[in-house]
Amino acid sequence: MYDENQTQATARKSRREPAVDMTPMIDCVFLLIIFFMLATTFSPLPGIQVKLPPPSNAPTPPEQKNFILVISNPEGGASEGIMLLNDSGVSMSDLSVSFMGGTEEQKETLIIRSGRRVKHEQIVTVMDKAKRAGIKKIGFAMVASSLY
Amino acid sequence: MRLKKPREKQPPKLVMEPLVDCVFLLLIFFMVANILKPTLPFTVELPDSKSREEYVRKKFNVYINANGQMSVDDQAMQDYDALEKYLLTRANEIEVLMIHADKNTKHGDVIDAMERAKRATLDNIAFVLSDEEIE
Repeated sequence: MYDENQTQATARKSRREPAVDMTPMIDCVFLLIIFFMLATTFSPLPGIQVKLPPPSNAPTPPEQKNFILVISNPEGGASEGIMLLNDSGVSMSDLSVSFMGGTEEQKETLIIRSGRRVKHEQIVTVMDKAKRAGIKKIGFAMVASSLY
Repeated sequence: MRLKKPREKQPPKLVMEPLVDCVFLLLIFFMVANILKPTLPFTVELPDSKSREEYVRKKFNVYINANGQMSVDDQAMQDYDALEKYLLTRANEIEVLMIHADKNTKHGDVIDAMERAKRATLDNIAFVLSDEEIE
């Protein structure tokens, strides 16, 4: 089976070539990969951003130029509170259209004045619709009860 | 002529090393995975939203359930004062305060928690949304 030119000695040598066993190294590398995958964050957390205004005791007076959405506390087993957008009644399904129909000035800011018992889900849905309609800033008008 | 050596009569050996390697790997995987996920004192069902930003998962997340119970990671907070105190001591470690509020949490409770966060010098806040995107 050997090449004719190859001597017996070199043939024997090549047969005993040291083999580097890679298996333990690969084991270790996989272990480290899994460790660092877990240690670093792999899935981002979806969220909706809220920037709080700088602390000041005097709330900014509501301007009629903005959108002002008043949400009542849900009554009588209803899951959602009744909404008034700039003093006219609006349903959740019409909210996007109403937001999009606003002037550029109105689209600057939306102020949400809601009752304390309004569900968080309703607020998030309103924020979602407002953001998608291009409203830049959203403010919450409510007095924190735990402080006063 | 080369004769085949008669087979030595040895009982077959079971090689345990790869099995032990795998078991240790799985053990470490689940140990680390469990440590990373805080065990909450209550469950929170997050609201959905189409518009969303993505945030990096970090320590110090505020959880509020439908009854107004609060916790920061797995530390239950008895009242808003405790929350404020806890956040104030860790304010320099928190870049964005993630609020995991349940769908049915009263908005007033969320506002109160936000107010306390603001007093604890945290003014970058985000409401965490559910992983499933709505159509």
